[in-house]
Amino acid sequence: MNLTLLRADLIAISGEQYVREHPVDRRIYGQTPLLAIAPGSLEEMAQTVARLAAEPMAIVPWGGGTQQTWGRPPARPFVIVETSRLNRILDYTPDDLTISVEAGMTLGALSAALAANGQMLPLDCPLPAQATIGGLLATAMDGPRRLGYGSARDLLIGIRVVEATGRVSKAGGMVVKNVSGFDMMKLYLGSFGTLAIIASANFKLIPQPRAAASILCRAATPAPLWKLVNAIAASQLVSVAVEYLEGVDLAGAPCAVAVRSEGLPAAVERHVRDVTAFARQAGVSAESLRDAAHEQLWNAINDVPQTATLAADELVVRVTCLPADLSNILAAARAAAQRANLPMQGTARALNGVAYLRVRGPAEALREWHAALLKAAPQTMLLAAPLALIAELPAFGTHIANLDLMRRIKQEFDPADLLNPGRFVVDQAG
Amino acid sequence: MNRAELIAELERILGPRGVVATPDALLTYDADGCVMDTHEPHVVALPTSAEQVSAIVRLAARAGMPVVPRGAGTGLSGGATPMQGGIVISTARMDKILQVDTANGRVLCQPGVINWELSQYLKPFGYQFAPDPSSQKACTVGGNIANNSGGPHCLKYGITASHVLAVQVVLPDGSIVWTGDGSAHTPGYDLTGVITGSEGTIGFVTAAWLRLTRLPEAVRVVLALFPDIAGASNTVSQVIASGLLPAALEIMDRLAIKAVNDMYKLGLPEAAGAALLIEVDGVEDGLDELLHDITAICWRNGAIDVRPARTMAEQNQVWAARKNAFGAMGRLAPTYYLVDTVVPRTKLPQTMDEVGRISREFRLPIANVFHAGDGNLHPIILFDRRDRSQNQRALEAATSVMKVSIDFGGVISGEHGIGVEKQDYMTLLFTTDDLAAMAGLHQSFDPHDLFNPGKVFPKGRGCGELAALRRSGVAWSALKSS
Repeated sequence: MNLTLLRADLIAISGEQYVREHPVDRRIYGQTPLLAIAPGSLEEMAQTVARLAAEPMAIVPWGGGTQQTWGRPPARPFVIVETSRLNRILDYTPDDLTISVEAGMTLGALSAALAANGQMLPLDCPLPAQATIGGLLATAMDGPRRLGYGSARDLLIGIRVVEATGRVSKAGGMVVKNVSGFDMMKLYLGSFGTLAIIASANFKLIPQPRAAASILCRAATPAPLWKLVNAIAASQLVSVAVEYLEGVDLAGAPCAVAVRSEGLPAAVERHVRDVTAFARQAGVSAESLRDAAHEQLWNAINDVPQTATLAADELVVRVTCLPADLSNILAAARAAAQRANLPMQGTARALNGVAYLRVRGPAEALREWHAALLKAAPQTMLLAAPLALIAELPAFGTHIANLDLMRRIKQEFDPADLLNPGRFVVDQAG
Repeated sequence: MNRAELIAELERILGPRGVVATPDALLTYDADGCVMDTHEPHVVALPTSAEQVSAIVRLAARAGMPVVPRGAGTGLSGGATPMQGGIVISTARMDKILQVDTANGRVLCQPGVINWELSQYLKPFGYQFAPDPSSQKACTVGGNIANNSGGPHCLKYGITASHVLAVQVVLPDGSIVWTGDGSAHTPGYDLTGVITGSEGTIGFVTAAWLRLTRLPEAVRVVLALFPDIAGASNTVSQVIASGLLPAALEIMDRLAIKAVNDMYKLGLPEAAGAALLIEVDGVEDGLDELLHDITAICWRNGAIDVRPARTMAEQNQVWAARKNAFGAMGRLAPTYYLVDTVVPRTKLPQTMDEVGRISREFRLPIANVFHAGDGNLHPIILFDRRDRSQNQRALEAATSVMKVSIDFGGVISGEHGIGVEKQDYMTLLFTTDDLAAMAGLHQSFDPHDLFNPGKVFPKGRGCGELAALRRSGVAWSALKSS
């Protein structure tokens, strides 16, 4: 490989200032990319990928860089293709309640643009001022409000990608119901950029609710809180989020459940009344929060699973399971953390069966905790791990079905294994 | 393998009651609800288990025959029509609801379960299966999954894909796999998501974990009448834009009102040019306020009457009229062609004007019954199939509706699927590269084109050929020649 020649060609495509050599601020698990390229348009991105494919050179797509520790480290020397300059709104007619945006737009910027029109894309993520739409889609990051509004899977209505050859293709459209052709959105969503680079995405939007409030319920132990969660599930209340918190400072107690209600003012008041009553019956305190306090609570909850700023001895995982198994799995995680003498923090979508947990401590203790957690929750994914451990821990859990079929898909879309090599399920020894 | 051997093998797998091979009986499997194209299967198989489906698929591969899945045959795009013959696998005998798991918000059922029967079954538990196509009293959940079907309540509850948690499928190589167990974020690619809506071309669904949706505490239905369809469409656009989210917003135009009036004794004034059915649901608190605001928008847009359906019986009558409106069309013409397209919601009033123009241009009456809240229109072109000129004009009118919808930024199918009916219109919407990516997905599941071949992709554009094109590299060039 002739890096000088490659660099010159990439500069010819995107311009000198957008091709950086050995950028240390783009390191992934200690590996510095050979180059980082920031194309300024879809065409430039397609040309960049085509040029890299001709080399052939491994490519790591990079959005806001907040989730680059997820999964496994790159398996080969690589260059980074950034979406930071693809950050525009492409099409937005507010009354259609749909929008098309480029992948490099941050969720924060998008939310601000929508709020100006009384609308929202009800996705939550850590650090929304940095996290990009493309990154959230590539990782299928979810948030507490998936309970009420669904996840990106339910709100994504169209997509445009740059494939491993540099070809550009699209699927879906700018309408909320569409069965014209295969649902390629589902294929790219959560695929870690291993099949194509997401260049732009279309979403269905939701009007901002007329009223919103939270009920924060605190307890010294988890058991009464799970009673509360079950009471909410059995009711006909339509909560937007029911989040279980443990070891998190913001809760002001060892454990807590935060319930979020959005909608018509009368419905929100009813929600506050009923949840407060359920809490009383379960024997836990309940405090209702509104306006700024309500917003601050959820911003803080959303940041709990962040992986942008990590201590050197920190392990972060995502557990997924059937919702009814969640409290037992969290109990197993807690017990293992106590045995290994590790403080544990966590936030869990209590009715969706998704939990984000973080622990800090010596490598041996982390190894022990992770092994115990995997026994209870085989679908545990690694979101960040100390450098010393990343190579040895199974990044996508111990229960992976249909690996052959997934590898056939990968082979079909990226036969030369150029896109994010080594980082996803398809690369895990099965 | 000759036909007799094939039938003998099938009977060995399924028993004699599981095989349909007599010429008369085969005729009833030559089409689904789309009668424009018909073709008889070689034989029809009626399995009861995934293992039997797998055995049939392996047999078909040995016999070099395609496999075509079929639910209730209510589809409107020819998805169940065996265009190249082969073995039709009917899910009619795979009709069991296997497990209701309220603790995990999921229900396990076989593909042949009727959509309506599933929701009836779930009612005593306090739940429903939210997707509710108009054909729900006949259509199967397997067909709903294959077509990613919609229905009036998609507006609030989302399309079928949002309600399928995991599927058990038989793959073209005969293997039986589960794509998950209903938990979120199964590691790896979202196989559940890509199989849903793939029209039976990449996997045969033999069981599914479906999402349970809690029944709402309260429901209100009103019927607003307008002098013309513009008033109703504008109301819908404004309701959506104002941030009020009803459970359903459905429009019927003058012709449709006439048809359902005759059949359901609704007593709607035939002077009304359009009826807008509005349903809101949720907790009791706030629901009247919501309805009040929506009603105010109706009046502002020139409604001539707003009639609440006060009792459950009245609500059911209104909904029955809406959902059976297609059947009532028989009162207006011997045949109808139901077109399914979607436009951005603000384009609905203009699109309806264009549909009126198309009706005049092709001299065929067009009735409209549609999911207005989603921008999903259903022009119903009325014609007499025995008249060749009318036949031709009906097809041309349908093409015009698709072209107009695309011109307004829309798509060619919102919920009925592509099948055979719209395969040649895919190129209006998608580039060769777009289709090639879809073909790539198809190839990774079904490299020998065994499952429901000749569907979705444009005629004469084989998946293998399209996928090969995609694999070839593209040239790069220096854009910023500095």
